[in-house]
Amino acid sequence: MANKTILEVQNLTKFFNTPGGQLHAVDGVSFKIEEGKTLGIVGESGCGKSTTGRTILKLLEPTGGKILFDGQDITGYSRKQMRPLRQEMQMVFQDPFSSLDPRQTVMQLISEPIIEHKLLKSKAEIEARTLELMETVGLAERYVNTYPHELDGGRRQRIGIARALAVRPKLIVCDEPVSALDVSIQAQILNLLKKLQKDLGLTYIFITHDLSVVKYFSDDIAVMYLGQMVEKAPSDILFQNPIHPYTKALLSAIPLPIVGGDKPKRQLIKGEITSPVNLPDECRFMKRCDCVQECCKNGNPQLREVEPNHFVACSCV
Amino acid sequence: MAQANELKKQYKKRTLAQETWRRLVKNPGAMLGLGFLGLLIMAAALSPFIFDYEVDVIGQNMSERLMAPGAAHWFGTDEYGRDLFARVIYGARYSLIIGVGSVLLGLVVGTILGSQAGFHGGVIDSIIMRGIDIFYSIPNIMTAVVIVSLLGPSTVNLMIALAFSCASSFARIVRASVMTIRDQEYVESSYAMGLPTWKIIVKHILPNCLSPIIVQITLLIGTTIISASSLSFLGIGVPAPAPEWGALLSAGRGHIRDASYMCIIPGLAIMFTVLALNLLGDGLRDALDPKMKK
Amino acid sequence: MAEDLVLDIKNLVVHYETEDADVHAVNGIDISIGKKRTLGLVGETGAGKTTTALSILNLVPNPPGVIKEGEIFLEGKDVLKMSSADLEKMRGNDVAMIFQDPMTALNPVMTVGDQIGESIAIHQNLSKKEAFEKAKEMLKMVGIAESRAYDYPHQFSGGMKQRVVIAIALACSPQLLIADEPTTALDVTIQAQVLELMKMLIQEQEMSMLLITHDLGVVAEVCEDVAVMYAGRIVEKGTADDVFNHMRHPYTEGLFDSLPNLKQRGEELVPIKGLMPDPSDLPPGCAFAPRCPYATEECSKAVPQLMPVDGSETHFVACSAYNHPEFRLRGNKDGK
Repeated sequence: MANKTILEVQNLTKFFNTPGGQLHAVDGVSFKIEEGKTLGIVGESGCGKSTTGRTILKLLEPTGGKILFDGQDITGYSRKQMRPLRQEMQMVFQDPFSSLDPRQTVMQLISEPIIEHKLLKSKAEIEARTLELMETVGLAERYVNTYPHELDGGRRQRIGIARALAVRPKLIVCDEPVSALDVSIQAQILNLLKKLQKDLGLTYIFITHDLSVVKYFSDDIAVMYLGQMVEKAPSDILFQNPIHPYTKALLSAIPLPIVGGDKPKRQLIKGEITSPVNLPDECRFMKRCDCVQECCKNGNPQLREVEPNHFVACSCV
Repeated sequence: MAQANELKKQYKKRTLAQETWRRLVKNPGAMLGLGFLGLLIMAAALSPFIFDYEVDVIGQNMSERLMAPGAAHWFGTDEYGRDLFARVIYGARYSLIIGVGSVLLGLVVGTILGSQAGFHGGVIDSIIMRGIDIFYSIPNIMTAVVIVSLLGPSTVNLMIALAFSCASSFARIVRASVMTIRDQEYVESSYAMGLPTWKIIVKHILPNCLSPIIVQITLLIGTTIISASSLSFLGIGVPAPAPEWGALLSAGRGHIRDASYMCIIPGLAIMFTVLALNLLGDGLRDALDPKMKK
Repeated sequence: MAEDLVLDIKNLVVHYETEDADVHAVNGIDISIGKKRTLGLVGETGAGKTTTALSILNLVPNPPGVIKEGEIFLEGKDVLKMSSADLEKMRGNDVAMIFQDPMTALNPVMTVGDQIGESIAIHQNLSKKEAFEKAKEMLKMVGIAESRAYDYPHQFSGGMKQRVVIAIALACSPQLLIADEPTTALDVTIQAQVLELMKMLIQEQEMSMLLITHDLGVVAEVCEDVAVMYAGRIVEKGTADDVFNHMRHPYTEGLFDSLPNLKQRGEELVPIKGLMPDPSDLPPGCAFAPRCPYATEECSKAVPQLMPVDGSETHFVACSAYNHPEFRLRGNKDGK
């Protein structure tokens, strides 16, 4: 059970046509996730992390590559073919204010997937299951008939999680599930997600810009830059021994809530993330990198295993 | 699960409609408009019981022709001696039925076209919207004249003719709202949930376009009543001797110097009705605006 | 001591009076910022941070906002008693503000050079041309090439826009800079750049700053003094060292325990239970009591006042638990 691969993504690409040229939002991303594990995908805005998540769930049509879910190649599935699979793979969205239909009550929102997939038939069973789900995610019963706009961000995010759980999925893609929330609420939601994983054996893809959150949460971490993975490793290894200059910069950029004492010196990187349109065949991080060498201009580096389980895409390593 | 039902009752909250009503009540203009419309609808509904159509409304009485408003005839009489009060009240039936009917007809057609255009975008959007653009560039009255001429004058045909212009304005509004709502995360969330497209449109997108549609309905009923009156005034609306307000105006035209009340009274009826609808529409717009919600 | 203060807020009370409720946004806060000092005002959504900042500029939207009580001294002058002409002169000249969202803070139809020059021209009585030259200097100062003064905001990225906003704020060398979540909308690597820039400029220009943020990391990076705000009140204030290393208020402790980055993997976070109270219906006594793991009956009886910690001159805490001299926070690093 521990080693069963639930999702495998091979060389996934997603291009968008823009007036400026083809935008390589996701450009050759490959990874595997074992059942019950969490993969953290980290990167700054515009790096393609959300697009990756949405493409895996086929909310966006992939341009190329393969998506294997539970051994099944779902790359070419139509919306209709995907429908039964929606019970297996679900998503929790970033913005708890726009991801819930404002005209539905909590009861309607949570029971919708149950009714849609005909998981339960009688009204009483559906209501009982909805209340059970509300309890699971820590929403008090008294909110059954409230509308989302009457609730705060944390509770709304709990509704989103309950909706995802309603179909008893195996895999949940969490797209920045806590970045719109206050710190104290963030911790509540993170603990909830973690507890659910333990109780229900869920597999998560955890998409975030916040490295401190993934460190707490993930088994493996993949760092993305301009549509590509630049480094991928088990969490502990990545934090102890980051190799790619971008990962190092990202780690060092987090402002630590420490005053005095042994606060590490910050390494700033220059410049800003550009848009992945019309990219030349060279290292995509080169323009912001401090340790550029001649080899960086010769082709876009691919992920290589530099130590067991630790993959880095940098020509200088 | 009696328990669950009890819960439901126990935690019953104000629905969105109740919220809107609560805010609407605070708007004096809207309430005035609503009050006037309420009276008008009641009068229109009760008029067949108060007046005998054959005798009071269209029955001619040459001995009492062109009497000024007074105790016997509150609004006076017309050139055939018909009581203008009875005709104006009875006329409200025509105006309201034509107004509401053509707007509803236009609403159904416009919503279907607009939601398809807005949701699918691309080629479908271009075809539908360019068609509507062409239609929009022809004056409403002209279209209506052509349609009524083709189908022949009758109340139903007049409604169909007017519904055309309503449909195009509904299509535009629905398309614009659908396009904004289409990109909301909860629509994407419904896809992730596995809902089929038509269900997403009907269940999640259209209900959220309701506010602009409701406002547009009230405002368009007003405009349509005016258009209907204009067509009747031109003689291609509701055929005589039915007391449609535009037809009353038209009849009064010849007596504008000696019996000006024949024009003024139906004119005021049209004006107040449209004003009431606009006041209500503006009030609804404010009450439904999510920014007004706390 | 008092004459050195750039900003001195005394017992500020701000309510938003709407039809449905009277929202108690700020409930009697006292804060002061000395010359060349940087104060971090920390708190969660709805704590009243932004309302406090707007009060300093007397910009609280009215209606529904009403400044009920209090005095705000800006270099000795009470902002709340100023005429509107004086206020206009003060805004931008003595105090400048940076808002959270750089995307909406700039006028999309004016070049950035003109936008920076505009406030210089108004406050320093320069000609348009001279002001534009000065604007170019300002751009250089915030690390943008002078040639870009002729560009429009949409030609800049988020981080660059925030630099432009900073340039506008600093154009008239204000005494006090109010920065409301200046880096929240930016990516981490860009946030690091902008924070570094702000730190440098503040030192160079010898300004004071009020930094409003929810991010304790940012505070640690930039601020010398910290005030923690909860439900419209200051619950703890002191130097950064006081608050970060010798914290005394249970809410401050809760905030730190909620942060995942201090923890090792797999460890359970300790969130603060419950939610921020509704500011139109605050609990009696200490507003944090319903969420506080240390709360006793006493807490809901009276609103605790800020009291010095162990006779300290800088460190204050508002918690009635310290009426009992033996009370300690569980995670107190001091061991005191």
